[in-house]
Amino acid sequence: MRKLFLFIVVLFISTINSLAQLVNNNTKEDESDLYASTKQVNQFIRRFNGEEDLYGKRLYPKDKKYRDVALRKKYLNGLFDLENTNIKAQKDEFIAYVNSTSKPQFFDFYGNNWFAEVSADFLYNGKEQNVVLNFKLEKETGGYKWSFTSAYAGFFEQEFKSAPLTDLKFIEPMSHEIDFMSLDKVFKFHNKQIEHYATKEYSPDYLTMFFREVKKGTLVYESVTDVKFHVFQVENWYFEMKYFNRKGDNSGWLISNLIKIPEKDKASLIKTINHETSN
Amino acid sequence: MKIIKLIFALLICCAIFQNVSAQDNISPDRKAAIDSLALEKVRDLSKYITILGDKKTPFSEATRVIDRALELFMPGSTMGVSSLYRKKIETYPIKDYLQRLTRLNYAKVTISWFNIQYVSDLVKQPDGRYVGVITIFQKFEGVTKEGLKYVDVTKKDITVYVERKQTQIDGIPVGFWDVLLGDVKVKETTKG
Repeated sequence: MRKLFLFIVVLFISTINSLAQLVNNNTKEDESDLYASTKQVNQFIRRFNGEEDLYGKRLYPKDKKYRDVALRKKYLNGLFDLENTNIKAQKDEFIAYVNSTSKPQFFDFYGNNWFAEVSADFLYNGKEQNVVLNFKLEKETGGYKWSFTSAYAGFFEQEFKSAPLTDLKFIEPMSHEIDFMSLDKVFKFHNKQIEHYATKEYSPDYLTMFFREVKKGTLVYESVTDVKFHVFQVENWYFEMKYFNRKGDNSGWLISNLIKIPEKDKASLIKTINHETSN
Repeated sequence: MKIIKLIFALLICCAIFQNVSAQDNISPDRKAAIDSLALEKVRDLSKYITILGDKKTPFSEATRVIDRALELFMPGSTMGVSSLYRKKIETYPIKDYLQRLTRLNYAKVTISWFNIQYVSDLVKQPDGRYVGVITIFQKFEGVTKEGLKYVDVTKKDITVYVERKQTQIDGIPVGFWDVLLGDVKVKETTKG
C-alpha cells in the first residue's frame, strides 16, 4: 500500500514537471544575447550601480557583492553603444570616474537631474506632426509619478519666427501718459509679430501652448515613437540613454551619447535639449 | 487598572502603526515573495497565449481561456504592439489582442518562451499601489498553407500592480498582497 502511494506521488510530481515544461518550454538559441541585453531602464540602473549579480539577481546592501567595484566595472563596460566611436574614446575615463573607490558615483532613480524625452506623433489640425515631450519623476503623497516639464514642436517654434519689425519697433516710453493708445496700432498692424514687444527675457512657453492645443482638440495624440533619457547626475558628466533594438549582447538600454561637461555649463545644455531659447 | 488598560491600548496602537509603516517599505524577502506571485501570473498569461495561438484549440476552449486570461488583468489594460519597421505603437484592449491570436492566418502556429524573466523593482505610486515591470521573450513560428514560414521574437514588458489588501477569515482581518497585470508593451526584436 505504501509503495502504491509513493508511486502515485512520483507520478503526480512528474506530471507537474511536464506541465511546467509545456508552459515554459525554452528555446536555447539567442538566450545568451537576451541575458546580456539591458532589457529595462531599471536593469540599466542596477547594472550601472552594481546592484545585480551576473545572473540578474537583485543585490541589496546586506549582500557582499553589492556595488562591488569589480562587478560594476564588468557591467559598466557593457552599458555603452559600442558602435559609437565617439563614446568609445571617453568610455574608460568615465568608468574610472564613476567607479572610483574614493568617490563612486551612482544613478539614483528617485534623484533629480535626469529626465525623459518622449517623441510622439500627433495630428495637428488633421496633419501628422511630431511633438517632443519631456518628463521628470515627481514625488506625490508618498509615491512617484512622471510629470510633464516641457514640450517642443517645430510648428510651435515656427509661430515665433516672425519677420523683424520695420516700423513701430517698440512701444514708446511715454505711452503710459496717453493710456497706451499705441497698442491700437500694434494689434492692428503687427499682431503676427506681437512677441517682438515682449521683454528681452521672454521665451515662449511651448508646454502651455501644447496643453492649450490638446484641450481645444486641434492636437490629437496618435503614438509614442521614441523614448530616451538625459542624465546629469554624474558630476562633470552628461549621458543620454536609448534603447538599441538589435541582435547581439550590446543591445537594450545603452549610453548613446556621453559628454564631459563642467557643472556650471549643465544648465545651458539642458536648455538646448529642451529647445529653450530667448527672444 | 484604568492606567494599565490605557497603556495596553497604546501599545496595540503602536504595533499597528509600526506594521502599517513597515508595509510602506517592501523588504527583500517580501519582494521575493511578491515576485513569485507576479511571475506565476505571467506564466499563466504565457500559457494562455500559447493555447490561444494553437490552431488545434477549439473555439469554446479559446473563449474560456480568454476569460481566464482577462482575470489576470486590471480593467482597462491594453497591449501596445510595435514592429521592427514601424515604430508607431498599435494599441489594443487585452481582449481584442487575445481574440486576434485565435484568428491568425497560418495553418500552424508554435509559440514558445525563452527561459528569461526579468523582474524590476517595485515603485510606489501616489495612489498607494506599487508598480513594476516583468520582461519576457516569446518566439513565434507560423507556417502558411503554402508552407511559407514566418518566425519572430518579441519582447513583452508587462506592467504589474501590487496592492496591500485585507480580507476576513473567521472574522479575523488578514492582510495579503494582491497582484494584477496591467498594460503590456510588445516589441518585435528580430525576424528569424
